[in-house]
Amino acid sequence: MLQCIFLISDSGEVILEKQLKGQGHRVDRSICSWFWDHYVSQGCDLSKLLPVIASPTHYLFHVFRGGIVFLGCTQVEMSPLMAIEFLCRVADILSDYLGGLNEDLMKDNFVIVYQLLDEMIDSGFPLTTEPNILRELITPPSIVSKMLSVVTGKSSNVSNTLPNATASCVPWRTTDIKYKSNEVYINLVEEIDVTISSDGNLVKCEVYGEIQVKSSLPGFPDMNMTFTNPSILNDVRFHPCIRLRQWESSQALSFVPPDGQFKLMSYRIKKLKDIPIYVKPQFSSSGGNCRMNVFAGIRNDPGRAIESVVIEFDLPPHIAVNELTCNLGTVNILVNKVCTWSIGRMPKDKSPCLSGTLVLNPGVKRLRVFPVFRIGFKIMGIALSHLQVDMLNIKNTGSSTPYKGFKAQTSAGDYQVRS
Amino acid sequence: MFQHMSMVSGADIGATSNLVMRIGTDARLYDYPEDADIGLLLDSRYDSENIEAVKRLLALISKGSDVSDFFPQVVKKLACQTLELKKLVYLYLLHYAEKRPNEALLSINCFQKDLSDPNPLIRACALRTLAGIRLHTIAPISLMALTKCAKDPSPYVRKCAAIALPKLDDLRQEENVSTLEELAGLLLSDHSPSVIGAAAAAYNSVCPHNLSLIGKNFRRLCEALPDVDEWGQIILVEILLRYTVARHGLVQESIMGSLLGSKVDHFTDNTERIQGNDGDFTTSDVCSNKSNLLFLRSYIEGSNEYFPRTNILSTNNDRLDLDSYTDSENKDIKLLLQCTSPLLWSQNSAVILAASSVHWIMASREDVKKIVKPLLFLLRSCCPSKYVVLCNIQVFSKAMPYLFAPYYEDFFVSSVDSYQIRYLKLQILSLIATDSSISYIILEFQDYIKDIDRRFAADTVAAIGLCAEKIPSVANSCLKGLLALIRDESSASHSIPHGDASILVSAIKSIKTIVGQNPSSHEKVIVQLARSLDAINYPLARVFIIWMVGEYCSIGQIIRKSMHIILKYLVRSFTSEEIETKHQIINASIKVALGADEEDMPLFKKILMYLLHLAKYDSNYDLRDRAHFMEKLLVSITNSCPEEDISCSSSNKKLSHEVNYIFSGKFHSKSYQSDRYKVYLPGSLSQIVLHAAPGYKSFPMPCSLHDLNQTQGKYSDSASVLSDDDSDTFSGSSDEKSDYSSNNSNAVSSGMFDSMDNVQNATEASQLIILDAGDDTTKIGQGASSLSTDLEELMSKTSLESWLEEQPSFSGPSSFSAQGFERQASIRISLKEIAVSVKSKVHRLFEPTDGNGLRVDFSFSAETSKISPVLVCVELSFENLSAETLTKLAIKDTDENMVTASQTYQSQESSQIKNMTVPNIFPFEEIPLLNPYQKVKKILQVQFRHHILPIKLVLLCCDKKYPVKLQPDIGYFVKPISLDLKTFKNKEVELSGVYEYTRSCIFTSHIEKLDHDDNNPVSGDKILAVCRKLASKVLSSANVFFVSVDMPVSAKVDDTSGLCLRFSGEILSTMKVCLITITTEGGYSEPLNLHVKVNCEETVFGLNLLNKMVAFLSEK
Repeated sequence: MLQCIFLISDSGEVILEKQLKGQGHRVDRSICSWFWDHYVSQGCDLSKLLPVIASPTHYLFHVFRGGIVFLGCTQVEMSPLMAIEFLCRVADILSDYLGGLNEDLMKDNFVIVYQLLDEMIDSGFPLTTEPNILRELITPPSIVSKMLSVVTGKSSNVSNTLPNATASCVPWRTTDIKYKSNEVYINLVEEIDVTISSDGNLVKCEVYGEIQVKSSLPGFPDMNMTFTNPSILNDVRFHPCIRLRQWESSQALSFVPPDGQFKLMSYRIKKLKDIPIYVKPQFSSSGGNCRMNVFAGIRNDPGRAIESVVIEFDLPPHIAVNELTCNLGTVNILVNKVCTWSIGRMPKDKSPCLSGTLVLNPGVKRLRVFPVFRIGFKIMGIALSHLQVDMLNIKNTGSSTPYKGFKAQTSAGDYQVRS
Repeated sequence: MFQHMSMVSGADIGATSNLVMRIGTDARLYDYPEDADIGLLLDSRYDSENIEAVKRLLALISKGSDVSDFFPQVVKKLACQTLELKKLVYLYLLHYAEKRPNEALLSINCFQKDLSDPNPLIRACALRTLAGIRLHTIAPISLMALTKCAKDPSPYVRKCAAIALPKLDDLRQEENVSTLEELAGLLLSDHSPSVIGAAAAAYNSVCPHNLSLIGKNFRRLCEALPDVDEWGQIILVEILLRYTVARHGLVQESIMGSLLGSKVDHFTDNTERIQGNDGDFTTSDVCSNKSNLLFLRSYIEGSNEYFPRTNILSTNNDRLDLDSYTDSENKDIKLLLQCTSPLLWSQNSAVILAASSVHWIMASREDVKKIVKPLLFLLRSCCPSKYVVLCNIQVFSKAMPYLFAPYYEDFFVSSVDSYQIRYLKLQILSLIATDSSISYIILEFQDYIKDIDRRFAADTVAAIGLCAEKIPSVANSCLKGLLALIRDESSASHSIPHGDASILVSAIKSIKTIVGQNPSSHEKVIVQLARSLDAINYPLARVFIIWMVGEYCSIGQIIRKSMHIILKYLVRSFTSEEIETKHQIINASIKVALGADEEDMPLFKKILMYLLHLAKYDSNYDLRDRAHFMEKLLVSITNSCPEEDISCSSSNKKLSHEVNYIFSGKFHSKSYQSDRYKVYLPGSLSQIVLHAAPGYKSFPMPCSLHDLNQTQGKYSDSASVLSDDDSDTFSGSSDEKSDYSSNNSNAVSSGMFDSMDNVQNATEASQLIILDAGDDTTKIGQGASSLSTDLEELMSKTSLESWLEEQPSFSGPSSFSAQGFERQASIRISLKEIAVSVKSKVHRLFEPTDGNGLRVDFSFSAETSKISPVLVCVELSFENLSAETLTKLAIKDTDENMVTASQTYQSQESSQIKNMTVPNIFPFEEIPLLNPYQKVKKILQVQFRHHILPIKLVLLCCDKKYPVKLQPDIGYFVKPISLDLKTFKNKEVELSGVYEYTRSCIFTSHIEKLDHDDNNPVSGDKILAVCRKLASKVLSSANVFFVSVDMPVSAKVDDTSGLCLRFSGEILSTMKVCLITITTEGGYSEPLNLHVKVNCEETVFGLNLLNKMVAFLSEK
């Protein structure tokens, strides 16, 4: 079980600590400076640091989100994934409450952070992590409450009553929700992971998707959702509200939705063939120079505009001078040798091209290490996996039929082209 | 990805309208917590001002300052009605309660009131805080509150009660244990799933060994599993798995079961079936079989990771027999599998991993495939969990490569992965590669070699070697690729002088592995490499090539012919080489000379002699020494050919034989790849950090739990039996370990007796390293000693751990107290061991010369008298050394004593009468006859009037009286009293000041012992030996209880400072407690400085005892 949680800023400052054990199991703050020294000595990104570290006195788990390290400490055997998952959950909840995660937000709302941590974990064991119950126990800060506290000087964000859901067998939903609006939005959010090898072969093309639901339905609604093509789903993970028997028997999602926004399920669809964008890097080096051309364009037109296209790569080592120009968009080279080519909306009639000459360090005849191009983009209104919701039935919502909205979007996940 | 978007927007807003955002937040309080008078605010009548004050205090706490001075003021605010304030006060209170225990008691009344509040939220908060205060003084109150809340109508309160159980358990109060266990049982049988999850966590910390508690609820718990909250699921799944293993054992059809040696036919059945499914995988499946047994063993017995597992395998294969297996039709197991399979779809990655491990252990080989896809899907989650999952997949794929083989594409590396993740993926890929997938994998690898991270590229090259070794069909193409790579790299390393040569080295290493599989067919490769020596100037790379040249010098004609040129080249470059290359050149030339034809022999000999001559004048002393040594060793070969010279002495012949043997390449150094054999339960922390974390529990012995139908009243009995069993198996296994280590040392020492062997041994040791250079260690220049020290370290660690029962050494004393429970167990073990070595000192009572050849010896016995507590038991041994039979032997009190006793009886006051009514001695019955050389032992119970003055007695023998004096031993005026560490420390505090006496002395007797065992290479064992010696010395000088030992965990291995032994006893006559503490200082090889401390209420007794102890300890 966790013994202590520290929140550390990305400059190594301890923002706050939450001790979870007493009786000589208190974790001294010095562990944070040990952790920081360790991180500095590793010389890598905080996000790439080993997530489970055995320090001389404690085992440390850490999750890095939005410039904040969530550090959990323990001295005894426990499931490391449980610690990591919990820290991630803390990060999720905090960012949900505070509208983001950064050092200032944490400091400004430190009391809420304390209150939340206190509800979320007790004696090292997670107590209440269900966002809906938490939201009832501790009201998230809002403009209104802030204004109120400025004007009146007092306002309490702590509920005096225990949320009903704690006793319910569907802890994700309170029983007596009343809404004027009666609507539910289904949002298919997909990320496409593509790897193209240096000889241009498609090594990997798969879609990771989430179905995000925003429900504002009164009463105790019971929903039933089916897909036209459920067989394409390779892997699935479900929100606890989904009745698994139903899924096993008829591949239909049957559930009582939580209130507000939540992730209904996540899925993966593998071995796809169509990629929306191609990127073709060409390098030809001789005599200490290297000519570089990168062509990009639409491969399989998804039917919608491909927006905010960004191509990013690390400049290889041993390069003295580089001159890169492009016929579309802008090229930036950052201090850490990361080159970013932002194209914006991908044109249909024209092929964007980045070209230039790299002058290698004296003594280096030709380039032997080639960069990997990472591509980012976003396509609104379409799910590239072609997963389709067939039907959505809602029962128990009273007289009026609720409004049902559907949306979809695809963005690039781990989309890379090797050269 | 949603997170990501909202985060960005949050940051944007934060940047643009920072000011707006901060209005109405607590920013001001965090930034300037002290710009208001907190004390004044606390005393205010308004809740809002109080709240602000406590918020300021919390801000100060989070900045790391100590604001406990406000404690009394804050505690007063508990009585308020605002929940917000109350909760804030609770936060503050919990932070400081331990520091201010007295003031914390003031708050109890408020808690009592809140605990009966109608609002469940308030009840729950009060309970959480009350239990969280964790003070011994309020433990009874907390326990009462807990008992009440465990039956609360609100499930939320019951859940909080379940979570509060471990808090009380932390206090480690003996008297509460049974109540806590009962409560855990009650909460486990709760009908609300949310309570069950928390109760499972409580069970795990309160009574993890009481499996019968699970047995009663097993079916219900399984059925409730899907409804339990995710965190509870993680823990409950693990408990249920543990229970099924203990109750039913393992499943025959499972991976764990199929490797059973005695069930050969069953096993072949299985392989055939697998063959049918995945044609590729027969070989690896079979060979993984052995490793599976290792897995099983590590799961059940705990990983004694520092030993090559094969030894253990061969020695006690029979311990897991058929009885520990059941079949898959078992109802409980079926139910467990059925209820855990939906968890594989959970959103919580830890739940998926926990459910996967159940299937991994229990499901049949076909069904295990179920876990593959969910585990692979986890690789799409956040980076930290990805790493943990990959670590576990790596272990799984070691045992069952075919499980993951079809999904090799999931392990292709992405450029965003961190180095560790990439490395793990490479490892897994090389494990699961099959004939059908290898071509794709090699294609991928070719891309990785071009990666910007050169360390990763080097790892890829090494992985290619592994794959080629595993799948011989691709060996040739890999070889070609590697050779091209070497050409490429070696040309590049010229242009970049400080370039990274790691790729080059691992490419050559990979080639070495491939060539090693079938050397004769790769003759040309070796020649080609030798030719490229000129272009490769990185020493380590050269070392490997030269090794190969030497090793395979006579495998074919081409290499034989080119050997002249190669050797001549090497000799020419010898003086300019690095030291490790020089070593290797000499080795190679010896090998060449040994394996040469008769016609080439003279030339090679000449070259060798020249080389040795060069080496003898090298600037490096190691090389010089070695050259001298080699010359002596090779004298038979260099001077005369054994075939021709028949007069060659037999020892010379033998020597040449040995030399041939040593350099023939038949040695294969055992590489200690301990990581490969460190297997812990899937999903555990120990598996990630690769050592047993404190509190790590391997599975109970299969089928160790039999009695299921026991009644409620009985179960505490069975629990104790169970835990006894546990400790037994544990001490058993630790015995095994120490056995092993002693065997090993014996083997080493026996080798040392023969001087001839000695020389050979030494060469072997050094040669091991030389050959090792060809293997996969990169440390070349190190001498033979480095390997053995590594080994020593490993060994000593193990023995230390066996002593501490798997407590990893680094956790230090602080975690010791965390593990109080286990600690007791470890003491039990140590006591057992030490009790064996305790020899009470024997004193002479009656010399044979004084009388008729009768010798009487006496020693003090650790037994305590059953007649009266003031009596000391003395063991007398009568031995007849004469040739005549002795009769009527007895011991009586002297008349004089009788008189004084009666006198004192008259003069003393009545209060002492009770004491006085006990006579001085309780004699044993007369020995009627003692034959010549017969020995008889008797127990005499004596009451000594004084603890220094001897008592006069009369020895009767053959109707003659001999006066004897019985010298008392103060060490036996106490009897052992068993204290736990906590009570010991409390008593120690009580008996401080005037009741505390200390002296220092020098302890040397461990040195002779260490010298005696000098052949034993275990260095850390010496601390242990010191500790053991000290303990046995104390225990043989005084009749006390061995309470605990604190092991020093310092950076210096040879430093015993900090070793602290504690003993406790009770004075026989006055029943007063007497504590002895011994701490050491100094390295184990020197005389130790001991500080002996005695805490005792009786000053004179205490001082005398101290003097006695010191005298005894400093005695040689």
